[in-house]
Amino acid sequence: MSALEIANSLPMWIACGLAVAVVIIQALLFAIKAYGAGKKVGLTEKQMKKAMKSSAITSIGPSIVILSGMLSLLITVGAPVAWMRLSMIGSVMFESLAAGIGTNVVGVQLGVDELTHQALAMAVWTMVLCSIGWVIFATFSANRMDKIQNKLGGGDAQKLISISVAAVIGVFAAMCAQHLVKILQFNPETKAFAGVGFSKHAFACVLGGVIMGIMMQVSKKIPALKEWNLTISILAAMIIAAVI
Amino acid sequence: MGNNKDFFDKEYMPQMNRIGKITGALGVIIAFAPALVLAVVYGILPKPAALATAFVAGASSFGVLWFVEPISYFSVLGPVGTYMAFLSGNISNMRVPCASMAQISAEVEPGSEQGSIIATIGMAVSIIINVSVLTIGVILGSSILAKLPESITSALGYLLPALFGALLVQFGINKKVHALGILIFAFLINVGLNFGVFAWLPGASNYLGILTSVFLSIVVMILTYNAQQKKSE
Repeated sequence: MSALEIANSLPMWIACGLAVAVVIIQALLFAIKAYGAGKKVGLTEKQMKKAMKSSAITSIGPSIVILSGMLSLLITVGAPVAWMRLSMIGSVMFESLAAGIGTNVVGVQLGVDELTHQALAMAVWTMVLCSIGWVIFATFSANRMDKIQNKLGGGDAQKLISISVAAVIGVFAAMCAQHLVKILQFNPETKAFAGVGFSKHAFACVLGGVIMGIMMQVSKKIPALKEWNLTISILAAMIIAAVI
Repeated sequence: MGNNKDFFDKEYMPQMNRIGKITGALGVIIAFAPALVLAVVYGILPKPAALATAFVAGASSFGVLWFVEPISYFSVLGPVGTYMAFLSGNISNMRVPCASMAQISAEVEPGSEQGSIIATIGMAVSIIINVSVLTIGVILGSSILAKLPESITSALGYLLPALFGALLVQFGINKKVHALGILIFAFLINVGLNFGVFAWLPGASNYLGILTSVFLSIVVMILTYNAQQKKSE
């Protein structure tokens, strides 16, 4: 059997299916418990359904972006592993890097050379070993970090909210900055700084923010628009950035 | 309200922590399933020396992130979100935006008990959608993406920057000076990264922008909050 036949074989599908099942089971368990608890802390069913709906809508776009990443991984390490690795712990960039590091050690360049048995094993083991660090640390530090954060809040619920809002602003500011900084242009060969120029990504980011600001003002007068603010801002910014 | 707090802290959270730890540990073990199938069913095992080399190379590139990412995202995700986000992955491009969108549409605040529950529901939904899309994609193979017109796939590339810009305005609008200050700081860090100012830091140094922005934002917020409390006393 060739390495790719093995990578796409039924036993591999079963093994990867088990791993994906754990992710789904965890999400379902948490969702069911949270839904039950929501009613007890005064959330209405309407609020929770709205949350589910908007999260579902938000998920579709990025999922398709991830899907296109999976398809490139699919031809190099086989369908089951690509599917599992991007459903579990994965991120597109990390997975291809990790798989490449693994196969390079045995002299196979991923996507260029033919996959050997050894290279397949190296890719799978390297991806798994390099990714479990996240889960182990996150799983066993989560409630310790919770205690630290509660101490910072000092039992003041309003202060805890402020801390979380600050963290949310910090994360999104950093994400925006990663796109805004694309106005700096570098020579692709020499890596030398080549000046400041237009970047569609930076433009989409600014536009998303500006349209959102306008929508928030408009929806003060037309409250029915409010729940569409984000969808309209994102779609408009995305389409304008794509067509110009 | 007192009963709610008791229920949340003494009943709900311990249950969620237990579920998180058990499923997290299970996930770590099951992640090895495909590697074990290769070994047991097909008799293919990597040579230990080669695997050790690859692991060291991988760990020196990503190892810092194993610790830095859970810490950086904690105040946004909360404990339950942390269990979920790191088992399922795709954090900055899916879990965080979905948790925030869910909180916005349910009109609850991040960091409150209600906010934590809504974020959990939102993230769980995003995981199920994400896995469903990938599953459909893997069954249909590359043919599915080939059917999407080029204009849509290229436009999707601008979805995340637009989303981040819109969400920053949404959360920052009531704290304009604060949000703008953090954005400028984050921008400068990223300029520094591009010019290789931080090249001496181990591994991929892209995490630096998120880590420093989150912590600076929290510290500044606590200081402002305390100052305002003093003033009103």
